[in-house]
Amino acid sequence: MTGTSAMSPLLVALISGGVVLGALTGLLAYVTLLERKFAARMQSRVGPYRVGPHGLLQPIADGVKLLLKEHLVPDAADKGVFNLAPVIFFIPCMLIFASMPFAPGLGVADLNIGVLFFLAVSSMEIVGLFMAGWGSNNKYALISAMRAVNQIISYDLPFVMAALVPVMLAGSMKLSDIATAQQGLWFIAYPVIGQLAFIAFIVAGVAAENRTPFDILEAESELIAGFRVEYSGMKFAFIQLGEYAHVIGTSFLGAALFLGAWAGPGPSWLGPLWFTIKALLVFVLFTWVRWSFLRIKVDQILSISWKLLLPLTLLLLLATAVVIVIRSGAGV
Amino acid sequence: MSNPKSRGFFREAVALTSAVVRAMRITGLNLFRKPVTVHYPEKPRVYPDRYRGLLALTIDKETGEENCIGCRLCEFICPPAVIKVEMLKAEKRNYAKTFTLELYACEFCELCVQVCPTDAIVMTKSFDMATSDRRTMLLDKDRLHAIGLQYENSWGTGNRLRDMQAPPKKVAAPEAVEAPKAASAPAGGEA
Amino acid sequence: MSEVREIDYTGSERLTMNMGPQHPSAHGVFRAILTLEGEKIVAVDAVIGYLHRCHEKLAETLAYVQYPSIASKTDYVAAMASELAYVMAAEKIGQFEVPKRAQYLRVAVNELQRVASHLLWLGTWCLDMGGALGGGTSVFLYCIREREQILDLFESLVGARLLYGFHQVGGVRYDIPTGWVEQCRTTMDLIEQRLGEYESMLHDNAFFEMRTRGIGVISSQLAQDVGVCGPLLRASGVKYDLRRNAPYSSYEDFEFAVPVETEGDCHARYRVRMVEFRESIRIVRQVLDGLPEGPISSRPGVKSLAQVKVPKGEAYARVEGPRGEVGCYLVADGTNKPYRMKWRGASFSNLAVLPHIIPGVTVADVVAIMGSVDPVFGEVDR
Repeated sequence: MTGTSAMSPLLVALISGGVVLGALTGLLAYVTLLERKFAARMQSRVGPYRVGPHGLLQPIADGVKLLLKEHLVPDAADKGVFNLAPVIFFIPCMLIFASMPFAPGLGVADLNIGVLFFLAVSSMEIVGLFMAGWGSNNKYALISAMRAVNQIISYDLPFVMAALVPVMLAGSMKLSDIATAQQGLWFIAYPVIGQLAFIAFIVAGVAAENRTPFDILEAESELIAGFRVEYSGMKFAFIQLGEYAHVIGTSFLGAALFLGAWAGPGPSWLGPLWFTIKALLVFVLFTWVRWSFLRIKVDQILSISWKLLLPLTLLLLLATAVVIVIRSGAGV
Repeated sequence: MSNPKSRGFFREAVALTSAVVRAMRITGLNLFRKPVTVHYPEKPRVYPDRYRGLLALTIDKETGEENCIGCRLCEFICPPAVIKVEMLKAEKRNYAKTFTLELYACEFCELCVQVCPTDAIVMTKSFDMATSDRRTMLLDKDRLHAIGLQYENSWGTGNRLRDMQAPPKKVAAPEAVEAPKAASAPAGGEA
Repeated sequence: MSEVREIDYTGSERLTMNMGPQHPSAHGVFRAILTLEGEKIVAVDAVIGYLHRCHEKLAETLAYVQYPSIASKTDYVAAMASELAYVMAAEKIGQFEVPKRAQYLRVAVNELQRVASHLLWLGTWCLDMGGALGGGTSVFLYCIREREQILDLFESLVGARLLYGFHQVGGVRYDIPTGWVEQCRTTMDLIEQRLGEYESMLHDNAFFEMRTRGIGVISSQLAQDVGVCGPLLRASGVKYDLRRNAPYSSYEDFEFAVPVETEGDCHARYRVRMVEFRESIRIVRQVLDGLPEGPISSRPGVKSLAQVKVPKGEAYARVEGPRGEVGCYLVADGTNKPYRMKWRGASFSNLAVLPHIIPGVTVADVVAIMGSVDPVFGEVDR
């Protein structure tokens, strides 16, 4: 789409953005269903079953329900902050897909700094999150928002470091360059470095998205719903969708960085399909981790990040640099 | 980490990894097990023979007469006092003029069944009492008889329960009134 | 006498938070007014009484034949133990004999109830610690799945799943149906195997250990001063189990171990209860192997309200329930209704330890501690 000269670039961008947003929303809705069915099967039950055949219409039913709900605003809440927070939370989570190419040449904008754009924009959701917690005028929400700021900031660092390993191996931050660099060997298959980087990416990713075992900020049994506790209706839907968009975005990034993006057997126009499948595999891994572990406390979460994950990822970057130097020195 | 058993960095990392793998293995294992969900109400649930379900009044199969003689023993023993009976005297035997049972307050303890001398009141193998109007759960005699005809009666009747509890007389037979295994289809608990 | 722990005011702002009666992890209706400084709790004020249903007055108005099915509603998770305490008290006053078969059946049913209650404990504890959307739910659903098997056993024996009315003065009300013994054995084998799965999910799991080791330590002296009982006491180093120290209902015929740990933290209580699982399964198997023939009650089947009359006297009977010592103190006056009944709830005494161990921990730890104390508020408020 970036090559058509018949239409003005603005129109092309608008159309491609619209298509991506539309497809993305559909994918998001069904990703929630995938998570629920997968979690249910792991717990010896069936998950959504009644709405539509085997629950396939459940996301639509949920969407309609949330649209029809009343928007409750607490009396003492800070109205401007409260109402604006879901939107500010939602926008960065959708914006991360702007830099994601779904096939060579197919995407909204294949930036030269694609990975950097992704990581920078995805951490902007903290602003929306804290606004939600503060504006709710609720002690539970406030505690949760404070924990969230702590946690996301701490884990974005190892997340960035882990994502930098494929960038260093490919030599570029452009996602399509990283994809082409994996044509011989996927980065996850790199001996030791690839696997360790992937594991660090998953762990830091789970923590940066506030999913169990690091979901201390929405610890349901202590803080009910954390910073979302006062929201209802479409605002709540925005927050939910934003969270899932962030998760799926991280899954796509993981698939692009480690699993070879759109590489796959068959004709090249199946590329986006393979990309989506790989992203869903990463998502399934996130889900599997989520439904297997107990939550850990906030002081332990922070100490894992600063004392364990950050030094490990820094060492990993160092090792990657050494490996690259050795490889280029050996003339490979 | 604030783990009192600090075993050295790499040993701890290995322990952490193996714990993670073990936990994920169990959930992964359960992924492939058949779900235990029973799709009620399409698939009916199999109730065991002694199930304490809805209460019902019975009718003698041979004569077609009501079994209840209006003796009010069930009314006196009921702990939450949900049964109200009025006796109707007749020449050969007594009847119950009115018999009301407040099912919404019943605790399903089976004491009324236990004391009934004529096996008139029994419990059934059904629990279909969901309703949107509580007044439908104030059962009168007609409703109770209808429930008795509609659902399968449980094994426990007054005489059977009392025989099970009574110290044995000089007969050599063991406790004869066992009910068949519950997991199989209800084959009818006969004495 | 141990003092309630006081934390010095450090100067930072204090927040009073209500862990209210409606709370996903309050294990029932329990209100804890917490005073927080940052994430640490400096004071706790426990409010109970939301589930008070006047059991002790009810016992004065209901006869001995009517009350056992109501007694099961005090500790509704371990209903069999609650009924047994009441019935044993009445039998103690009247010197009623309980036939051997009835005693063995009581033991089997109580131990099955212990397994079921501990399964619920494990499930809800992991649910509280792991979140309703997370690994805690997985453990919870697995435990409930296994507990359903035991409830099926009870259903084929008694007809009811949660609140039974199985015991009566002089014996039990129901005898085992055919096929129950095999079903019970299969269930015990299944649960033992699945217990291995839970243990591998939780044992040596870094997340679990972080949440439970060193948390909520109850010292042996504190435990004895406050009067806690059950697994809490045994996890603090005091080897005291009523089934051994004051055997009732033929417990002396069975071989089983009483687990004791010395650390007194949440992890120690977890270990004690996991061993109790296996010991209970062992006892049930011994009962099934050696079940004697005979009557199930020393008194004829209940035919009327005035049938059971207990002569004048008073007695206190105690039972080792899953949560600790469940006791019933009965004063009889020769009629078919007691004059006075006093119920000693295990959870009521166990909750008394909370003001001693909660100040100083964080909010997340409160959840872990409450779960490992395992209160059931039917017993607390009666």
